[in-house]
Amino acid sequence: MLIQNAVADTLNNTEWAFPLAECIHIGGFAVGVGSIALVDLRLLNLGLRQETAARILRYTEPWTVIAMIFVAFSGFMLFLSQVGIYAINPIFPWKMYVLAAALIYNFTVHRRVATMKDAPPVLSKFVAAISLLLWVSVVFGGIFTGFLE
Amino acid sequence: MSIAQSLESIGFLNEFSESVLVYPIVLSTHLTCIALLGGMILMTNLRLLGLTLKSLTITEVVTSLRLWKRIGGVIMIGTGLLLATSEATKYAPNPFFWTKMIILSLIGVHALVFRPIVYNRTEELDRSSLIPAKVKAAAILSLILWTGMFTMGRLIAYWD
Repeated sequence: MLIQNAVADTLNNTEWAFPLAECIHIGGFAVGVGSIALVDLRLLNLGLRQETAARILRYTEPWTVIAMIFVAFSGFMLFLSQVGIYAINPIFPWKMYVLAAALIYNFTVHRRVATMKDAPPVLSKFVAAISLLLWVSVVFGGIFTGFLE
Repeated sequence: MSIAQSLESIGFLNEFSESVLVYPIVLSTHLTCIALLGGMILMTNLRLLGLTLKSLTITEVVTSLRLWKRIGGVIMIGTGLLLATSEATKYAPNPFFWTKMIILSLIGVHALVFRPIVYNRTEELDRSSLIPAKVKAAAILSLILWTGMFTMGRLIAYWD
């Protein structure tokens, strides 16, 4: 594919392009996952307890979404630069499955429960725990993709 | 034997860096803490700048996140020490690693300077309607320093 080659050429032949994409990827997921974690902590009745989970979600969500766009874009660039390596990596597809699950979960179940009036505490806590588990798994998946080739 | 070599040869550190599973697990934990801490630091600083979480006071944001930042920070430093000491001979000559350490010490300086005049005086800040220049400086510098931290952390892998 032409676009694939163009991206791969730039990232592989420009000294700073690949590390730059990696830094954007890391900074982006720190903000993305960190902002979701603030909502999760609140659902667990920890952290910013003076405000409702719904309000915290409303404040953090724009930052989560912007960060996710950066993460997805930089991640896609990194993928295109070494398609061959990712294609045969045993961990990478799992990272993508868990990522898809985490994204869908975040904007459906997680969002629904965080914005629910008088959600049962047990439900909130369960939903937050699953959210944290999913996102931490994505981070682990990313590192393990780089380590187990 | 240099300090770096003696560090590396410590039994458990040596086994640790050789382990196929343990090393990436510790690195992933390090990054998870960066995410936890990163989100909290960003939100705290944005609140100082009056950009988000505005229905909460600065005092509420700073005090209710303090414990979680500390927990994240302790695990981050603990895992970071393991990662660096287990490969001390690789890290010792690495300029990105030392730049990262300099930024880390600047973060310490930032705390020494701004804690007494900003982060420990949040009630005063909550009463004023304007955002004082020192608060803006504290928030923006903090964001710049932490961006430098994770950038240098990533670049450590690129020096050989």
